[in-house]
Amino acid sequence: MEQFFQQLTNGLAVGGIYALIALGYTMVYGVLKLINFAHGDLFTYGAYLGMTLLTSLFLQDRLGAVAGFLVLAVMVMGLVALFGVILERAVYRPVRESHRLAAVVSALGASIFLQNTLMLIYGARFQVYPDDVLPRVAVNVLGLEIPLMRIVVVLASVVMMAVLYFFVQKTTIGTAIRATAIDQGAARLMGIDVNRVIRLVFLIGPALGGAAGLLVGLYYGQVNFTMGWLYGMKAFTAAILGGIGNIPGAMVGGLLLGVIEALGAAYLSTAWKDAISFIVLILILIVRPTGLLGERVADKV
Amino acid sequence: MKRVMGLALVLSLLGVGSARAADTIKIGLMAPMTGSWASEGEEMKKNVELLASELNAKGGLLGKQVEVITEDDGGDPRTASLAAQRLTTKGVVAVIGTYGSAVTEASQNIFDEEGIIQIANGSTAVRLTEKGLKYFFRTCPRDDEQGKVGAATLEKMKVKKVALLHDNSAYARGLADEIRSHLKAKKLDIVFFDALTPKEQDYSAILTKLKASGPDVVFFTGYYPEAGLLLKQKKQMGWNVPFVGGDAINNPDLVKIAGKDAAEGFQFLSPPVPRDLDTPEAKAYLASYTKKNGETPGSIYGLLAGDGFRVVAKAIEATKSTDADKLREYLTTGLKDFPGFTGKIAFNVKGDRIGELYRVYKVDKTGGFVLQK
Repeated sequence: MEQFFQQLTNGLAVGGIYALIALGYTMVYGVLKLINFAHGDLFTYGAYLGMTLLTSLFLQDRLGAVAGFLVLAVMVMGLVALFGVILERAVYRPVRESHRLAAVVSALGASIFLQNTLMLIYGARFQVYPDDVLPRVAVNVLGLEIPLMRIVVVLASVVMMAVLYFFVQKTTIGTAIRATAIDQGAARLMGIDVNRVIRLVFLIGPALGGAAGLLVGLYYGQVNFTMGWLYGMKAFTAAILGGIGNIPGAMVGGLLLGVIEALGAAYLSTAWKDAISFIVLILILIVRPTGLLGERVADKV
Repeated sequence: MKRVMGLALVLSLLGVGSARAADTIKIGLMAPMTGSWASEGEEMKKNVELLASELNAKGGLLGKQVEVITEDDGGDPRTASLAAQRLTTKGVVAVIGTYGSAVTEASQNIFDEEGIIQIANGSTAVRLTEKGLKYFFRTCPRDDEQGKVGAATLEKMKVKKVALLHDNSAYARGLADEIRSHLKAKKLDIVFFDALTPKEQDYSAILTKLKASGPDVVFFTGYYPEAGLLLKQKKQMGWNVPFVGGDAINNPDLVKIAGKDAAEGFQFLSPPVPRDLDTPEAKAYLASYTKKNGETPGSIYGLLAGDGFRVVAKAIEATKSTDADKLREYLTTGLKDFPGFTGKIAFNVKGDRIGELYRVYKVDKTGGFVLQK
């Protein structure tokens, strides 16, 4: 039983990261019906920017640990959001009116470009975060030793997801995003600046992806320029699992995927972990082709 | 008129092309220049290119200059087969490389069918030389050698329950199987045998499961990026079981990834690391490498690639030929006790290197790799 709960926390930590990245996929898909294949690379940029800023500015020494990391997170999220907006302007807007395949190819091209740029700047080797910046404390929760950083990862992702959810559900701008997701033409007729909404989506999604990158960097300590691919794949799966285009779906899908992976590894086979999670995905899609929460078409963003 | 000019241009280009082909002896290098093993590829390239330029400064081979043509295999079998095909069209006499066993395997038949000598530098999977391929050699040892040394090391640690963890790659799986069969013969208890998924970052699920199986020691047969994360996350969990690893963990990046305190005490099998090489040839070469690149070579596989290059050069010189059959004949029968950087080199008829190379290393407090006597 202790192993079960330990594995549950293992799964939730990974799942929280998946969910944060999945939000970026699902928001863009909701509004544009486009899979942003470069999203995983924006996540990687978050991890690398975090490392660069951490080792060059020493914010945690100047402002203290908590304030330092908050400022760092804001800076990373802002910069990655900026990349997201540039990406939208340079890569997706020119092909928005063309065939859907053009956008897919454009997205894949952007992904390759971003990945190789990173390799040329930082080199192909693994990069590591300085390992003495974070307190290595484990917290004892109900008899389980849980590293403090893992709790921070889960909390940070849950808080960001909750803020996003209320932003989209309760504010005027959020309503505009939802309206654009339902029908771009009608939204435009209602006086919504659709281009602005799309820009906003490309601001929020990458910012969350960048934050996920920073969390991964801080927690695991090791980053490399291809890491976005695997996380991107998993997060994309999570988005589908929860029902792509649906924000709560991405959160549920991400956490669920993490937990399925951990429990599959624990009780069946670690080597078959990915196969197990994809079998679960297929089964869910057979029963519910729109994903777990995919039926609320009117709510989707 | 245009057509005539075009034809003339084509002819002149062809002329230049064939003239250049005759000018140099081309040696291919297939290495992971991108992907997870890019740091290995970088060192392979630095070593082979330095040796080629030293050789050229002394007049080259058979009166010709040696040209190294590098192709990136990306550490990936599919990319490797394309890289191998590109090399075969470029008229190389021999190919050095590559690092991963699965990657080498994807290229073996391509070179063999074209009659090109291939000397792998890091591919230790047993079956690579069991296929009866005529032109395949390797300067690294095979996994069954390592399996033997690995099982003996575990036995020396006086443990009862052993966990074996691999990553499903041809190399890691092969080594894990090999160790398992030796341990079974010695009646040691294997409490865990499974694989992790490489390139992930969170191995806490696997570590939790490993811990529950209660081993006295864990032998991880995979590569250094995963080993580093395993050590780090094991430490975070507060689990103090000794970890032992195979030779793919011999890379200084291990300590960078794991952190010094998590890596301390970790033991791995490996051919000697570059700075522990003590033959006069090796010392002189390490000095000139350091002068050229500003750092000492970190990985033994770069030097094994260099030894591959030197063996080919020696064979071409001795046979005064670039014919693959003559080179093969020389490498399997003529070459004896060649003073390689990594020890004496000779090949058996399968293409395997003769002689034992493995040592046991331990990571010390400062993150250094210390040779265990």
